[in-house]
Amino acid sequence: MHLMQSKNRAAILGYGAYVPYYRLPTTEIARVWKGGGSGPNIEKAVAGVDEDTVTMAIEAARQAVKMSGVESLGAVFVGTESKPYAVKPTSTIVAQALGQHHTLAADLEFACKAGTEAMQVITGLVGSGMIEAGLAIGMDTAQGRPGDDLEYTAASGGAAYVLGKMGKKAVAMIDCSTSFVSDTGDFWRRAHQRYPRHLSRFTGEPAYFYHIENSVNTLFKETGHKPSDFRYAVFHQPNPRFPVEVATRLGFTMEQIKTGLLNPLIGNTYAGSSPIGLAAVLDEAKPGDKILLASFGSGAGSDAFCIEVLDGITRTKGTNTTVRSMMERSTKIDYSTYSKFRDKLGK
Amino acid sequence: MSIQYWRIRDRYYRLIGSRCAECGAEFFPPLYRCRKCGSESIKDKEMPRTGKIMTYTHLHEPLPGFEAQAPLYLAVVKLDNGAKVLTQIVDSPDEAVKTGARVRATIRRALVDGDSGQIVYGFKFVVVN
Repeated sequence: MHLMQSKNRAAILGYGAYVPYYRLPTTEIARVWKGGGSGPNIEKAVAGVDEDTVTMAIEAARQAVKMSGVESLGAVFVGTESKPYAVKPTSTIVAQALGQHHTLAADLEFACKAGTEAMQVITGLVGSGMIEAGLAIGMDTAQGRPGDDLEYTAASGGAAYVLGKMGKKAVAMIDCSTSFVSDTGDFWRRAHQRYPRHLSRFTGEPAYFYHIENSVNTLFKETGHKPSDFRYAVFHQPNPRFPVEVATRLGFTMEQIKTGLLNPLIGNTYAGSSPIGLAAVLDEAKPGDKILLASFGSGAGSDAFCIEVLDGITRTKGTNTTVRSMMERSTKIDYSTYSKFRDKLGK
Repeated sequence: MSIQYWRIRDRYYRLIGSRCAECGAEFFPPLYRCRKCGSESIKDKEMPRTGKIMTYTHLHEPLPGFEAQAPLYLAVVKLDNGAKVLTQIVDSPDEAVKTGARVRATIRRALVDGDSGQIVYGFKFVVVN
């Protein structure tokens, strides 16, 4: 058996997302670098000049903690590949801003799946009884080299989850998860390098599809679940096409994935990508709905979760700003402003 | 991050101010003696994260260290408990920044010490639609 399932199930007690205010149309990127056209997505979310993974993680975490009603967090984990400091934890700044000191705190890195990895670790800590509740965050200000294909999609944003013991306040149960990893060099960033590199089409079959199909099919095989058991499915979203393609291969329909498919309007928020898709689904979900969540991180690996929405979801309606309303509150910027905001001038 | 800033980081991260245990008045930034009744019985208190713009200015020539953020809005915000905060207004269209506009707190980079120094984080405010 490869299924990860705690005897005492952990639950999502609260969640929060963050999408920055600024949008860069991909037509702007294409105008500058190709003289016209557009990227695979319509726009991408861009963090402001004074934003980074710390500030966005705190914003999402404050909403998650408020929704949960939890006063003491036993763990604060931030999954990201855009830490403001190479050495100095993002997680301790987040913990300080939340007034949490008696807590584990760590930054996790696994490209775009560090957020779901944080969720799995906290599920284990809660399930074993080591902690009452913990905070898992997936957040990034994704980097893309100017003019590279990645620049069209590399975006900013993510989500935070307070996971704790099951009870009346539980929003959704983390029933089980699987992970599948291999040494695959589809995308990487060496130490001291500002931008990642990738192997273009190699990021598809041997990386994204191979790992997600393995994690999800293992989950199906070992739980007996099938695609039609799920009301919603959320896949990592490096571009608009991959999640639709992998969903189709696995037997899911567009109806099941459309709620959590945000890439066309905000881009790829890396470690925040599948967690913010899940938040968008929870904004609409009802008790009894089952959700399949599958992340992908280059390097490479995928985590697949089976999540069941509980009665506690009804108390959350109207308490937080929804992901969709964050996406709507936006303003367009041009490439020059984006270059200034993301410190790309002369770099 | 200077040691001076480190000592008061909760003020900037969490809007920690003061509440007078005698008369209930609340203040920001924190103080040691109540400005209203003179009592020294003062407790830390997290301020409300919403309020209204009392007055503002649009800075095109900010102080050194803030050039990348220019032009920027600097405002005095009256929080819902009456305490007043000097702050930046961010992520808000020009037409929304006006006296009386409702705002909520957010956290942002306040100052960055070059390429290798520390990053100072602190509260700023956003106009609520």
